[in-house]
Amino acid sequence: MGRSKRTRRLPLIAAVAVVAAMVLSACTPGGAGPTTSSAPARTLTIGATAEPPTMDPMAVPAAAGSQVMLYNVYETLVKTDAEGDLQPLLAQRWEVSSDRRTYTFVLNRAARFADGTPVTAQAVVDNIMRIKDPKVAAKSGTVVAAKLVQQMAIVSSAQAVDEGTLRVTLSRPSNGWLYDMSSTAGMVANPAGFRDLASASAGSGPFALDRWARGTSVALKRNQAYWGTPARFDEVTFRYYTDPTAMTAAMMSGQLDIISNLQAPDAIGQFEDPARFKVIEGTTNGEVVLGLNNATPALKNIKVRQAIASAIDKKALLDTVWNGKGRVIGSMAVPTDPYFEDLSGVNAYNPTRAKQLLKEAGYAGGLTLRLKPAALPYATRAAQFVASQLREVGVTVTIEELQFPNRWSDVVYGKADYDMSIVAHVEARDLGTYTNPNYYWRYNNATFTKLYLEADQAAPDQYVPDMKRVARYLADDAAGVWLFVLPNLVVTKPNITGISQNAPTLSFDVTTIAAG
Amino acid sequence: MASSVARRLGVFVLSLLAASVVIFLIAQALPGDVARIMLGNEASQADVDALRAQLGLDRPLPVRYLEWMGGLLHGDAGTSYLSGAPVSELIAPRLGVTLWLTGLALVLAVLVAVPLGMVAALHRRDAGGFVVSAVAQVGMAVPAFVAGIVLVAVFSVRLHLLPATGYVPLRSDPLGWARSLVLPVVALAAVQASVLTRYVRSAFIDVLTEDYYRTARAVGWTRGLAMLRHGLRNASLSLVTVLGLQLASVLVGAIVIEQVFVLPGLGQLLLEAVAQKDVLVVQGIVMLLVVFVLLINALVEVAAVALDPRVGEEVA
Amino acid sequence: MKRLELGVGVTLVALVAAMAVVSFVWTPYDPIRIVPADRLLRPGPAHLLGTDAFGRDLFSRLLVGARSCLSVGVISVGIAALIGVPVGLFVAQGPRWLARVVLRATDIAQALPALLLAILLAGVFGGSTTTAMVAIGAAAVPQFIRVTRAGARQVLSSDYVAAARSAGIPRWRTAWTHVLPNIGALIGVQASVTFAMAILAEAALSYLGLATQPPTPTWGRMLKEAQDFLYLQPGQVLWPALAVAGGVLGFNLLGDGLRDRLDPRLREAA
Repeated sequence: MGRSKRTRRLPLIAAVAVVAAMVLSACTPGGAGPTTSSAPARTLTIGATAEPPTMDPMAVPAAAGSQVMLYNVYETLVKTDAEGDLQPLLAQRWEVSSDRRTYTFVLNRAARFADGTPVTAQAVVDNIMRIKDPKVAAKSGTVVAAKLVQQMAIVSSAQAVDEGTLRVTLSRPSNGWLYDMSSTAGMVANPAGFRDLASASAGSGPFALDRWARGTSVALKRNQAYWGTPARFDEVTFRYYTDPTAMTAAMMSGQLDIISNLQAPDAIGQFEDPARFKVIEGTTNGEVVLGLNNATPALKNIKVRQAIASAIDKKALLDTVWNGKGRVIGSMAVPTDPYFEDLSGVNAYNPTRAKQLLKEAGYAGGLTLRLKPAALPYATRAAQFVASQLREVGVTVTIEELQFPNRWSDVVYGKADYDMSIVAHVEARDLGTYTNPNYYWRYNNATFTKLYLEADQAAPDQYVPDMKRVARYLADDAAGVWLFVLPNLVVTKPNITGISQNAPTLSFDVTTIAAG
Repeated sequence: MASSVARRLGVFVLSLLAASVVIFLIAQALPGDVARIMLGNEASQADVDALRAQLGLDRPLPVRYLEWMGGLLHGDAGTSYLSGAPVSELIAPRLGVTLWLTGLALVLAVLVAVPLGMVAALHRRDAGGFVVSAVAQVGMAVPAFVAGIVLVAVFSVRLHLLPATGYVPLRSDPLGWARSLVLPVVALAAVQASVLTRYVRSAFIDVLTEDYYRTARAVGWTRGLAMLRHGLRNASLSLVTVLGLQLASVLVGAIVIEQVFVLPGLGQLLLEAVAQKDVLVVQGIVMLLVVFVLLINALVEVAAVALDPRVGEEVA
Repeated sequence: MKRLELGVGVTLVALVAAMAVVSFVWTPYDPIRIVPADRLLRPGPAHLLGTDAFGRDLFSRLLVGARSCLSVGVISVGIAALIGVPVGLFVAQGPRWLARVVLRATDIAQALPALLLAILLAGVFGGSTTTAMVAIGAAAVPQFIRVTRAGARQVLSSDYVAAARSAGIPRWRTAWTHVLPNIGALIGVQASVTFAMAILAEAALSYLGLATQPPTPTWGRMLKEAQDFLYLQPGQVLWPALAVAGGVLGFNLLGDGLRDRLDPRLREAA
């Protein structure tokens, strides 16, 4: 053993050890571990799944922008509350004409944009026109997502009666429009800030955009001059994790105050210690749909569709895939919808019937289908379950996971080059997608479309029963297989209060949250 | 000498050109339509076509290649279709993260591998050397992401010593920066240290059979001293060459580690850009990585010549 | 000790091969059939290593996973060897400028390692076993070219090849009858090391979600699916991790052991 070697190496090791000790000990004095929410600034750090591609939530169809911005930064005329009911926000009150085509909104005169300019009826009109007409949007150098344009297409005119009164006329009565106005399409931005929406916020909410660290986080800061109840936090940060394991690790190590929606429901057992964590379980708008391509020869046949639906044990799927969190639904409606009823009994699990139906359809010898789920945790897991159960009734399934959103949008949505796909549809009250024959499930059913339009135009007291009929028709026709509704699984530190149990909107609403 | 430098430079430039064509073609082949992604699924085909024209996506491939290369020569990598930000602005903050991660991992790997490799060489016939070699073999066999996940489980979740995820910029908080990098650097360095240990070991074993080493021993030098005096030069040559070769795999290994620790580095940006077909961002990142690797390898060649002039004859 | 290296290497590789072979004739359970009632069972007499979140037997999946491990290795090594060896042989006998151009090209190619190439290919063609294998194989081609050329040059400079040449035997025949058999072991070393690299690359790609599609069990995919359960059932992660590490270790040791048995002159090329 060479003496010189030892003496030469020791100082180096010592140096490494000193540095390591410094780094490691940096957090130990506090004892609480690495924490981001320290006094005096009141901060809140929220773990979320998908990062917005731009800071303009109205420019792209991604729901991630609305998660951060809706109600927190941008306000709407009316707001959907935790129970799914509409409440006043920028509009103090509103009236609907007897033909149900004209809406008169009386604005809250206290409302101000972050720069102090009042929220006037004309500002709201400018927003409506920008979203309704892509050419108007282009004039201000902005893009509006086509989905929002479609939602606003029903507006035939919008005018400012005076500073604080707004009148909107629709081309036909609609039970859905005002509801859409409580979401992304109804966001009211300061017209002076239209041009810079992609990088700077121009809202009237209790928070404003502070910094966007691409790939990492979006930070909101308190709007000092907010016109309503002041924000309880100086800074709110959404940190993004595509990998659910990394997010749970961050929460468990104390880096996060809240997990906005746990994507690894099996990990819920790790948050059992009430001294350290609180778990909130509710429901969302996200229907996990096994989408069927109704234009393919096999799936055109209602018997094949019904066979697929009855080959899958939805309850067992939910238990296996999502740890039993969430619930089975049976059609394109969720428990927070007023017209929801549990239709999981329609085409219920019955492999014998499934085999029989396949035989009647002429596929006794077997059938091969391509399943192309979005590469998201719930979808890839559900795909494996579906493939396994369809195999039991003689349907061979080949799985191809598609990166989401790009590859999925290209292959499934754009080209409809698929037989079955799995993705969650997170928009509220999105049954109407089945009326569009060009939508990726290529469902072209005149009877259904007629029923839906009747329901949307129906008198308010007729709306719920009519929509129930629509949802039931869809289930009977097995236009798709509605596997389950995603749960709202929120994990927080024990001092966090005010998080609503359900998530009936796209917003992660910080305005109600407090840290004790 | 000057002509040889000029020739090397010429070869280097040609290499870059060849690489740029390959990268351009692969990036252009990414499926999907960025205009469609930007406008959303419900947009009409006419709107999508108009946006494609506006972005210049309807022009022929060679034109777009020349435009890209022309921009690169002026230091302009183009503008991200999706975010509208200049590609260089997207890459710059990420580059720092990846360079710190890979740089520190390489340094740590060398600091571990040199002494371990030396021990393994000196004790190659007894238990000590065997243990080092065995550990190095196992270190090479464990996937880096598994090492990362286990490190998080132990040091972040159980012991609460270090952050599980995220990155803190050096300028805003040096201590936080160091703490955020400890686990990723260790996870990335583990594999590299194992690989390097084996090279250092065999380099030193070569030394043991050389005449000058035997002579030094014969005149009464200890093994360690003889090895340090004569072996380090030989080992450093081997080490520099291997480091150059390993650089590409370390950079790519960083992509996986960035994913485990949610570090906003180049790898994360690349995976995202590939998924979103943000072609110019993909081209920019891959080109940057390739230029970097080729440049370092060119420098390694020069360094190798400097360390041992005999090498020059073989390499040229 | 050298013998021990080779011995352990051969044993581990044989173990992986045996697992793959056995999986064709017997697994305790169907490795892809989902059994909701048997979810996340702990190891026990019924399920040797327990079950995963889908109620699938972990042991059965490990056995079948060995198949994917081997096929990914064999095919990517095959791609690399089928391209790399002929090109290397050709270059070794060709003019000096050609060698320079090809070697320079391999330098450039080495700046695009397997994982980077696979990420790009998965972007273009979608993630699958095939894209992973092609990317891993393509990325290993330069190594095969270099090793083959270096080895072939050693053999070509030997006396008996010179004798064969002067006897008028054409170049391609000497390459076939003299060079190739003599560098076979050398290529075996390279194949073994590439094999180990392929196993690791497949695991990393599976982790990134860019490789084999479900429900086919691969060790990398099992690792990815198991990470949610790291804190609840560490065994879920442990077994596939051990399998990957064992496979890589086996092929690396096999390569090292073979290298030590090489003709000393060829050892420099390896």
